Amino acid sequence: MVKKIALSVKNLNLWYGSNHALIDIDMDVYEKKVTALIGPSGCGKSTLIRCFNRMNDVVDNCKVKGAINWKDKNIYGKGVDVIEVRKQIGMIFQKPNPFPKSIYDNVAYGPRLQGVRGKKKLDAIVHKSIKDAALWDEVHDRFSDSAMSLSGGQQQRLCIARTLAIEPEIILMDEPTSALDPISTSKIEDLVFELKKKYTVIIVTHNMQQAARVSDHTGFMYLGEMIEYDRTQKIFERPKKRLTEKYISGRFG
Amino acid sequence: MGERFEQEFEELKTMVLDMGKLSTEMLDKSVRSLKNNDMELADWVISKKGEIARMDDDIETRALRLLTLYQPVATDMRTIACCLKLNTYLARVGRYGKDIACVTKALKGKKHVSKLVSLPYMAKLVTDMLNDALYSFEHFDVSKMEDFSERDDDVDHLRWSIFRECLSYMMEEPKYIKQCANYIMVARYLERCGDNACKMNEKIHYMVTGVRVEVDKDYTAECCEDGGEPCQNKQEQ
Ligand SMILES: Nc1ncnc2c1ncn2[C@@H]1O[C@H](COP(=O)(O)OP(=O)(O)OP(=O)(O)O)[C@@H](O)[C@H]1O
Ligand SMILES: [Mg+2]
Repeated sequence: MVKKIALSVKNLNLWYGSNHALIDIDMDVYEKKVTALIGPSGCGKSTLIRCFNRMNDVVDNCKVKGAINWKDKNIYGKGVDVIEVRKQIGMIFQKPNPFPKSIYDNVAYGPRLQGVRGKKKLDAIVHKSIKDAALWDEVHDRFSDSAMSLSGGQQQRLCIARTLAIEPEIILMDEPTSALDPISTSKIEDLVFELKKKYTVIIVTHNMQQAARVSDHTGFMYLGEMIEYDRTQKIFERPKKRLTEKYISGRFG
Repeated sequence: MGERFEQEFEELKTMVLDMGKLSTEMLDKSVRSLKNNDMELADWVISKKGEIARMDDDIETRALRLLTLYQPVATDMRTIACCLKLNTYLARVGRYGKDIACVTKALKGKKHVSKLVSLPYMAKLVTDMLNDALYSFEHFDVSKMEDFSERDDDVDHLRWSIFRECLSYMMEEPKYIKQCANYIMVARYLERCGDNACKMNEKIHYMVTGVRVEVDKDYTAECCEDGGEPCQNKQEQ
């Protein structure tokens, strides 16, 4: 089976002022697969994942060189519509960050911004997104409740539903379960597994077993470099680099 | 991984090596007891049966504990997986030793049909393989196992030559039937121990390199080519 490439990172370098935070990153992210990024704190995982939808643009002093090719164009190229990029490449954060609105309005927010009008149309999108985010059973009878009344794990799935509602192609997740209990975590993990039927997922995690469980490919980063990037099974069974082996088997430093 | 893991992990490896030493010793001594009609030695081997079973259980418990508590990956994971297989193979070797010691007991007071040469030689080949496999496990070095395929062939051929030799004795003199039937059985036990050494080789190879190899892959083809010889079931222990 030929794997299709969703995103292709070419010689990507990033500086925060004089801090060279990403160094010569090259990687292909495959379509409808889950790609995990692992590595010690400060190695540049969040920085890299934020590059995929140009979230670093808002950081002062941040300079990017190189390319991230997506659908035959460079995300960092001239004349690229950043809003369009962010619409197609959605992001889920470590801490669930629902808006202080109702459950329904949280999910309907994106579609409304995009100009979707009419209760029927919005209902359809909201229901589908909530179902796809595996949250339906828990909230279908309380759509008008505040999103803040949900548990952390439910809030995180609501944020996923909110992202799904704008029909992205790629979903970025930066430590989406680190603030959740084991049950919510396993729900999110199951969800990630489901999501890859339709979406390309990139996930940052500090939980090695989580990377091994949910991802198809894993990239190990260290001090801003991509040390090893390969099929997840290979990384965890027989990594090529000693540094990778040391990190994943917890013998670092 | 923390110090506690390292310590328990090293202990696990030592447990496997200890079990390896004991089961190989049981096999070696069982054939010696047969050769020398040494009932005391046979009793010693038989008395170790419980210890082997206990070691088997202890290794399994320890390995499962490490897997669940620490969820090891890469080399650690491959090593623990290897330990979980080696304990099974080594338990079989120990049991075959015990079975051979029982043959010694069954043949108590009977003079050998002729000087026992082939069986001890076969036992030497097999215990050498077992020791080399254990060396590879201990030192994370597969070089001593590279020729296992040929060594296993030699063991197989010895088994058949012992079989033929015994057949001719039995046809010559029916009173030798009991002894010869037992020799044939011992040869078969030893040959199975050789196969277990080959399986150990495969698992240790995977542990060290992360690559799976097949050591006795031509086995089925060979035993059927042999024509007329009893063909054994590969699944059998
Ligand atoms: N907004 C920023 N401004 C300046 N420097 C930053 C900024 N964000 C990150 N950095 C620096 O870039 C480097 C990589 O940080 P990043 O947040 O990407 O690491 P990480 O791998 O996600 O770590 P963690 O696992 O702790 O989340 C660090 O040296 C960090 O201090
Ligand atoms: Mg981060």
